[in-house]
Formats: sequence, C-alpha cells, structure tokens
Amino acid sequence: MSFLEVKKIYKSFGKTEVLKGIDFSMEKGEVLAIIGSSGSGKTTLLRCMNFLETPDTGTISVNGNVLFSSDEPPYSDAEKREKRLHFGLVFQQFNLFPQYNVLKNVSLAPELRQLKAKKVTKAEKKEIIRQIDDNSRRLLDTVGLSEKVNNYPCELSGGQQQRVAIARALALNPDILCFDEPTSALDPELTGEVLRVIRELKTSDRTMIVVTHEMNFARGVADKVIFMADGVIEEYGTPDEVFGAPKSEKTRSFLEKSLENP
Amino acid sequence: MSFLEVTKQLTNGFGVTVVIFLITLAVSLPLGLIITFGSMSKILPVKWITKTFVWIIRGTPLMLQIILIFYGPGLLFDMPALPRLTAVLIAFIINYSCYFSEIYRGGIESISKGQYEAGQVLGMTKTQIFFKVVLFQVIKRIVPPMGNEIITLVKDTSLARVIAVTELVKAAEDIVSMKMIIWPLFYIGAFYLLFSALLTFLLNLAEKKLNYYSG
Amino acid sequence: MKKRILSVLMGAVMCLGLCGCSKTEDTDWNYIMNKGEAVIGITYYEPMNYLDENGELTGFETEFTKAVCEKLGVTPKFQVIDWKKKEIELKSKTIDLIWNGLTVTEDRKENMAFSTTYLKNRQVILIKKDNAEKYTDTKSMAGASVAYEGGSAGETAASADETLKDCKQVSCDAQKDAVLEVKAGTADIGIVDYTLARSSVESEDFADLMILENVQLMDEYYAVGVRLEDTETLAKINQAIDELAKDGTLLELAKKYGVDDIYAL
Repeated sequence: MSFLEVKKIYKSFGKTEVLKGIDFSMEKGEVLAIIGSSGSGKTTLLRCMNFLETPDTGTISVNGNVLFSSDEPPYSDAEKREKRLHFGLVFQQFNLFPQYNVLKNVSLAPELRQLKAKKVTKAEKKEIIRQIDDNSRRLLDTVGLSEKVNNYPCELSGGQQQRVAIARALALNPDILCFDEPTSALDPELTGEVLRVIRELKTSDRTMIVVTHEMNFARGVADKVIFMADGVIEEYGTPDEVFGAPKSEKTRSFLEKSLENP
Repeated sequence: MSFLEVTKQLTNGFGVTVVIFLITLAVSLPLGLIITFGSMSKILPVKWITKTFVWIIRGTPLMLQIILIFYGPGLLFDMPALPRLTAVLIAFIINYSCYFSEIYRGGIESISKGQYEAGQVLGMTKTQIFFKVVLFQVIKRIVPPMGNEIITLVKDTSLARVIAVTELVKAAEDIVSMKMIIWPLFYIGAFYLLFSALLTFLLNLAEKKLNYYSG
Repeated sequence: MKKRILSVLMGAVMCLGLCGCSKTEDTDWNYIMNKGEAVIGITYYEPMNYLDENGELTGFETEFTKAVCEKLGVTPKFQVIDWKKKEIELKSKTIDLIWNGLTVTEDRKENMAFSTTYLKNRQVILIKKDNAEKYTDTKSMAGASVAYEGGSAGETAASADETLKDCKQVSCDAQKDAVLEVKAGTADIGIVDYTLARSSVESEDFADLMILENVQLMDEYYAVGVRLEDTETLAKINQAIDELAKDGTLLELAKKYGVDDIYAL
C-alpha cells in the first residue's frame, strides 16, 4: 500500500464536471509535480485533498488511514479540521495574515491548536509558546528569512511572502505539503528564490505535491509527473518519461506550447 | 443671565447629550455585530427576518422611532411608558446597531476568501478564523465609515428633545424661551464642535495606529 | 408638511390605541390617586413655569398647580414636554394634566377636557420698532409674512383676520420661534399671546421689537387640560379652583407674578 492513495475522485460544479475519475498514488518522500493547462482541474484536485472542496465520489487515504470516502456521511467541521492536518497548502496568492508580523504568521496556528487542546498552567503555557517560537524561527531560517521575523507581510517582496507562507504551512508538520502554483503570482525574477526553497525541502525527506507551470522545475525536482487535461490524468510517469517520451498526443502539444512561451 | 450661569445650565444638557452618545456607542458596537451575523446567517429565516428588521429601521426616521417607542406602549397597549431617557436610549441603540451592522457586513464581505481558506488549512476553527484573522482586518477597514456614523451620532442626540429629554439643544431652547435671550443657541454650536473635534482626533489616532500595515 | 405627516401618523397610532385603552376598568381618578402623584405637562416660560436663579421651578402656574394638588391630596410632578405633543402625552398617560397657560380652543376640545378658565389672555401682534410707521393696523399688513406657533391660538387669530389670512404664513414649532422670526427679519409680524409678547419686549435681546397695542385680535382663555374621559378628576380640580378663587389665594398669586391684569375669575 502506498503512502498516499487517491481513488476515483469525481467533482462537479453545477453541470460542469471538473474532475472525472482521478486515480494516483505516491510514496513517502516523493515529490509529485502536476502540470496541465488552466481549467484542467489540477487546482481543484489539490483543494479536494485539503478539504476546501468535497469530492462527489472517491476516497483519499494517507498511510493506510482513510481520510475521505464518499461512502461515509458528511464530516463535521471538527472532523475536517483533524483530517486536513495531514496536508499543508501553500496558496498561489500567499494569503498571509497582514496584521501579524512574519513570526506570528508562522506561530499563530500551532499556538491556537496547542493551547486550545488541553488545559494548561501558566508555566506550561509559557513553555509551549517558547517551543513554538523556537520552531517558527527555525523554519523561517530554513526558508532564509531569519532576519525578517519582525517585519509585516506588506514590507516583504512577493518571493519573501511566499517563503513565509511555506514556513507557515510547515509549522503544523503536515504529512504531505501541497503547493498551488506557488510562483504564478510572482514577478519572473522572484520565482527562483521560491523554487530554490522548495527544492531544498526535498532533501529533507518531505512528501510534496506541486501544481506548477514551471516545466524546468517539474523536470529537475519531481520524482513523478502528472499531466492533467480535461479533468483526467492524461499522462503519469517519471519526468524523463513524461517530458522525454510523452505517449499522449495532448501531452506532446501541451509541452510544445509551454516550451514556446515559458 | 450671565455667561457662567448659562454655561452651567448648558453643561447639564451637554451631560445628557454625552450620556446618550456613550451608552448608544457602548451597546450598539457589539449589538451591531450580532445583527451582522443574523443578516449573513446561512439559516434563511434568520437572515430574512434580520434583513427586514434592518430595512425597517434604516428606512424610517429615528425621530419617528423615538416617538413610537415612548408613546407606543401607552397608546397601543395601555401600558406604562418607559422613562424618557430610557426610551431615547432604546431607540438610538436599535437604530445605530442596524447602521453599524451594515458597515460591519461591508467590512466582512471585503475580506478575501483566501484569508478564510488560509485559516482553514491551518486547522483553525470558524471562531478562531473570525476573531484571530478576520475581525482585526475588518476593524481596520471600517474605521473611516464608522467615524462618519459616530460623528453623526453626536448631532443626532439632539433628536432626543422630541420627547422632551433636555439635551443640549433643548437646554438652550429652554433658556431662550425663559429668559428671552438668543445667544445660547449659537453658543451650543461650540459644544458640538469641540466634541466632534475631540472625536475626530481620536478617530484619526485610531486610523494611524491601525496603519502599521497596509492591505 | 412635516407636521401633517406627523399628525397623520399619530392619528393612526391613536386609532390603534382606542381598542387598547377601553379595557381600563378603573377610573382615571383612581389611577392618579393610586400613584399618589399627578404628572403635570409643562414647558418653560415666564411667568408661568420657569427656573429661578437657583434652578428651582417657579411661576404663576407652578404655584397654582401646587395649591390645587394640595387640596386634591396628590403630589404634583412637573414634566417638561414638547408642547406640540401635549395631546399624545396626555393620551399615552406619560402626563396626567396639561397646566401651562393652555388656551381653550374648539379643536383641542376633541382631544381633552378643560377645567374652569382662570386667565383671559389675548393674542397680540409683534413687529420690529423700525416698522412702526409701516404697520399701523392689520390692513397695512397686506403682503407681509406672518409667524405664529402652528396649531396655537395665534394661528386661529391669523386665519380669522381678513388681511392676515392672505399673508404669507410662517408656522413655527413654538411661540418663542415666532418671536425669533420677527427678530431675525425672516417674518414681518408675529402673533403671540400677550404675556409672552410683553416679557419679550421687556428683555434686552428683543428690545427692538414692539407690541401693536391698538390692534385687537381674539381673546383667549387659559384652563387646565384633563383626559377627555376623566370627569371625576375634572370635577375635583374645578372645585379646588373655585375654593382658591373665593379665598383670594389665586388673585394673590396673579399679583405676585404680574398677571393680575389678565386674571379672569
């Protein structure tokens, strides 16, 4: 059994069928790149795994635990909260909290989670906050922003903001970290720093899914590549297979177009 | 009547004005938020009842509301009337809560969906998302329109005199009709100007404090 | 216009109120006695009800009210009201009596009962001294603008006069506003009652105004206003007024506040 197993995911918005039966699996420590033209359903797939959308049918399981199954009754908010913690999500538009400084953006969610979970004494509370604080600083150091901990998001460049968002997603230590077109909202000269951070995270044995338009990045960093078109997986394989010898005509024409206008 | 005597009598009226202002503000600010939740509720009957209520209150003059709340119980149900100031406060609180609720609603709806989703994927509860993520951003956005309403409230307090609550304007009118002197009518303008100058200063201060970040 | 809308609304409220009010079994007199106090609707004006230099309420009507209430065995509680809403205050029981130089008019008799009248006042014309040569009688006032308190005896007087009724009408919220209109020059002549006109022209701020003494408008009589259905209270007040007139107390009060020239009992 694989680490992540996604089976028969269907999803429609009204009459539009966006996902038409998605099946794939991946192993722990792998990086999966999902490519495809806009409207192919890649973002919806990512949102389904993060419980921002509910699939109409299908199952999603991580490490042998079924997180989502359309056979089960709808989950309560509390259940969803627990389940989605297996995944982390980095948004295209960063979605940092503008009123908090960089450090607080990273530490807010762990603090709320750990301080709410159980009754703690004042001393314990202090200790928990100190630990979260240390961990947050360490994560910000990982993404190269240790000097910006006290700045506010509006004072950072887009690339720096996205790196904060990555540290924020890592703070809850998810099993699988998802990126939804993490460089699409950035100026071209700022994409490099974000991609470098993602590449560095790979070495630390993390499981990641990256929806991206950066073909070179997908080819150089990913272990597996999925090409999606019209709500189905058109092609699946290693980067060499998908980029080097695409089997499907659709993949070929998509890759040709992407190479023309990178 | 000397300047000092007039000032003393007007100060009493001004006290009533300030009481109406402060109590209305203190109760309407939180109550308005509750009404906002009602008008944004997913439970349709709650949503429509709240929206209709807000429409009625915003669509009728505050003066009429004061009159109905004070005289209504006696005329319609033969019930004892509320004390005058209480009736004024109830009318003001209901009226201003509805206006505030619409400002809150505009502020909440202006917050991008991404902020809610970011909170969700970080495992926050709905309450945590509202109070820890959204509310502060809403407050920053609504300070300017809220400031307008608050300054309007200062001047609206003069409506209390329709049921003979002696606020600042009525205090001046009483002096004018008793002593047959006119200048107190102009003098009270200074009270209002000073009061709203103080509020403008405080509101600007709040705006400045909230401007430590943009967006 | 604003006033008309308001009165239509109040009318609607009162119609609705009829069904509610009829269920009172107890009489109004018992209602007042049970409370032990009668709420007296007043407005401040000299010399009827006004605040002295210590801020204490005093005046001819104030003392008169206290004297009658003492005989009735109730405590008077003076409540300042908006004069335009005196009828609605009375009906909604937020006040029990109107006692403030209240003029008896036919219109008002539909909404309240009146006690024995005790002062005979008259409506007079107030003009600027600068206009003394221009306005000598009502005929010379053709084309002028005339200010009075809406719904007061002043309005009745204006509509009763051949010339004044065709003048531009300025309906004010209160008598004192009619005086202000003349002073500010926004109206040419004001029609107010004699006591108010006299205290105005005697004051410093309005010293540039004058009363047209030779022009006779209508007389008016002052009485206490009581709820229409309340015959018992009315009878007791009338009896008390009668006693106070007979033993000379009332005339003494009138002299004290300078209204003995219009005393009418």
